[in-house]
Amino acid sequence: MRASALSTNLRAIWARAYVRVVGANRELSWLFFDTFLPLLGTAAYVFIYKAMQAPPEFTGFVILGGAMTAYWMNVLWNMASQFYWEKEMGQLELFLIAPISPMAILLGMALGGMFMTTVRAGAVLILGSLIFGVKFTVQQPLMLALIFFLTMAALYGLGMLFASLFMLYGREAWHLSNLLQEPVYLLSGFYFPVRGLGFWVAAAASLIPLTLGLDGIRQLAFGGRGWGFIPPEWELAILALLSIAFISFARRALRLMEELGKREGRLTLRWQ
Amino acid sequence: MHPAIEVIQLKRLFRKKQARRAWRTVVALEGIDLEIQEGELFGVLGPNGAGKTTLIKILATLLLPTSGQALVDGIDVVKDPHEVRRRINMVSGGEHSGYGILTVKETLWMFSQFYGVPTKVARERINELLRVVGLEEEANTKINRLSTGMRQKMNFARGFVSDPKIVFLDEPTLGLDVGAARDVRSFIKSWVKERPGKTVLLTTHYMTEAEELCDRVAIIDRGKILACDTPENLQRRVKKESIFHLEVEGLDSWDGLKGLPGVRQLAATSRDGFTELRFILEHEDVLTHLLSAIAEQGSRVLYLRKTEPTLEDVFIELVGRSLEVDTTER
Amino acid sequence: MAVNEHFKAFRTATKLGWQIESNWTDPLLFAVYSVIKPVAASLILVFMYLVITRGKTGTELFAYIYVGNAFYIFVGNVLFGISWVIHDDREHYEMLKYIYLSPIRIYIYLLGRGMAKLFVSAISVAIALVFGALFLKVPLGLFEIDYPYLFGALLIGLAGIIAFGIILAGVCLITARHSGGISEAIAGAFYLLCGVVFPLDVLPGWAQAIGRALPSTYWIEAMRRAALGEKIIGVSQLLGRLSEGELLLVLLGTTIGLVIFSHLFFKWAEQRARHRGLLDQRTNY
Repeated sequence: MRASALSTNLRAIWARAYVRVVGANRELSWLFFDTFLPLLGTAAYVFIYKAMQAPPEFTGFVILGGAMTAYWMNVLWNMASQFYWEKEMGQLELFLIAPISPMAILLGMALGGMFMTTVRAGAVLILGSLIFGVKFTVQQPLMLALIFFLTMAALYGLGMLFASLFMLYGREAWHLSNLLQEPVYLLSGFYFPVRGLGFWVAAAASLIPLTLGLDGIRQLAFGGRGWGFIPPEWELAILALLSIAFISFARRALRLMEELGKREGRLTLRWQ
Repeated sequence: MHPAIEVIQLKRLFRKKQARRAWRTVVALEGIDLEIQEGELFGVLGPNGAGKTTLIKILATLLLPTSGQALVDGIDVVKDPHEVRRRINMVSGGEHSGYGILTVKETLWMFSQFYGVPTKVARERINELLRVVGLEEEANTKINRLSTGMRQKMNFARGFVSDPKIVFLDEPTLGLDVGAARDVRSFIKSWVKERPGKTVLLTTHYMTEAEELCDRVAIIDRGKILACDTPENLQRRVKKESIFHLEVEGLDSWDGLKGLPGVRQLAATSRDGFTELRFILEHEDVLTHLLSAIAEQGSRVLYLRKTEPTLEDVFIELVGRSLEVDTTER
Repeated sequence: MAVNEHFKAFRTATKLGWQIESNWTDPLLFAVYSVIKPVAASLILVFMYLVITRGKTGTELFAYIYVGNAFYIFVGNVLFGISWVIHDDREHYEMLKYIYLSPIRIYIYLLGRGMAKLFVSAISVAIALVFGALFLKVPLGLFEIDYPYLFGALLIGLAGIIAFGIILAGVCLITARHSGGISEAIAGAFYLLCGVVFPLDVLPGWAQAIGRALPSTYWIEAMRRAALGEKIIGVSQLLGRLSEGELLLVLLGTTIGLVIFSHLFFKWAEQRARHRGLLDQRTNY
């Protein structure tokens, strides 16, 4: 009996996620380099604020930002660029001739990578909070969870969109990701409240899901809206729209890029 | 009933960038036609750069044709690639893809899932495939610990784990030692024999492989199909001529030999001071004149053999050179 | 191998590194890319500072933070430029085994490959400093910079950073390519422990002790002193006690120690990699 498209794609998601989880567990050096050391990097920003004698809530802002960095890095490097690496390793063509959607592969990578990412984010959040005495006063935990979930959905949708570019443009896309790293830290307010950028810049930056996600989580996690950009309810709605938009664009972009790659004969071309 | 694979006036051009923003067009496939029936083990034989891999990539939905049509199991590869993918799989020779950190079994299982194979069925198939390709003992070995031959065998097994209707094998024995290549060929033969209704399209530049395995062979060169028939019928094309192999010492030039009356084709390769000549003569009597001409040059014939025509002879007959001459750059 | 052969190998590796670094796009786009990255990195700190101080950038503390952050660009980029070569050449281009097969010294090759990043970093640092001087009231005067001291400290400091890059390259030889974030993570640790963007005094005692053992701490301070002069001496009590000469001496001493350690560690890692057959392994997943 022929498997339905849905069940095949679900199997593909599971199989690709399995690779990520198994890979992470087979060689544990990432626990030090990708989990413990980033905590030190985050701590640096805490001390910057201490040197500036910033209000104590800024420590919490930095810890949250440091935790979310893990997800941004995962999207940028372990998801967006992964098709590029798959092509370089000769795997991409094997994925593309299988009767599955490329989004299933990407989703599998994302879910599998979540394991490592969440360990890193959790380590920064928990250890950072303990070491620096951050106190959370969570209001509306359901809203907070929803904002987090939608931020992830939109973020990973954005990652899939980038993956379509990576599939074809290889090194240019790699450098684009490299280029985006710091500007996104800046524009999304990873280490400072985004409203410090001014309304219009923050509004434009809201296209990056992390901007509103981080802002909303901070407002709900620290029990105050003094530093917030816009009310969390609005942020929730916008994130929902961004999720739908990015996932739809990603679907189209992946198809388009695959067609373009097939037309130009670049789908299997290495070292572009 | 439709053919398993049908190709109609298939053309594929590539634009290649040269220095200083200049581009040139390379014709990889020049309007080829092919029909492969269900159950056939079909070979595409040609030198490097002939267009074999380009053809496979189009049929495997990795490349769009510039013009023409390609149908796999009656489905257009351009219009409905997803349906095509349900029915096919591909193995490329010299392939070293794989996640080094996974074991053989894990890798094969992962790919089985991409084709919707239930895990229980996948496990049985994997065990059987590993037994057949001789990798049972390496089932739990990580990929980055396998030798080249083992990796290729694993990739081979990967191509069959989904039990595809049509399999594309692109130079599957490339880079394998004699024993491993023999095992792979034996596997291909038995897989097709035991499964009527399955089709294999095999590309190779090894003549003996095509002769041994294929029901029919298409000879391709510079993007064109020069002939397409069973190996026996192709060999019969040159059977009426006489084919001789000579090994000669001290031969400076063979251009004069080509022009001798009665010499149809001549292919020569020089190695370590010796020259190997392969002649297709219109009739055996020409041999005497040929040997005299060689002696007049002061050369010595070390070895002389008359052979039955092989596919290589057919190739030389059609193309005018041996398969060893690389045509990658035109 | 004779010296000129080493030089040839170095030159070839540098050319290769430059090609890989730059030939993915046209020169204009590459130039834009090279400008945006350092400026964006600097602006994070600027905005953090602006949010807290509500707009005042012409202070000693701001100059301290900004200039430290600008020179820190060398650290992240050079660490990455040297260590990433191992993963990239081994798993992406599959060339590492051929490099090892050839008679060139691996150090020469890694150094050459890292030169492109060093060069781009130098431009990035210059851009960041000019930007700070022009738009953010950082008191940098072209004729007030102590250039001999600057270049002296720069050379010694770069030797230390390169040594650390070699250590990381050794780590890459014996670990899987999880995400390529090793060098970034280490650079993050330096960011915390070397007084890059805040005075070392702010850290707890045990962290200060680690910071004081690292050459980069003295290097960043030396670069700040060369660029800003005595204006920023008062910001850090701990390092402010050291004169320029003492700073340079401590930098030299710690760098020599690090270079020796890096050589020993890399040799050990290399042996281990050869023993376990890791020079041509692929670990990406």
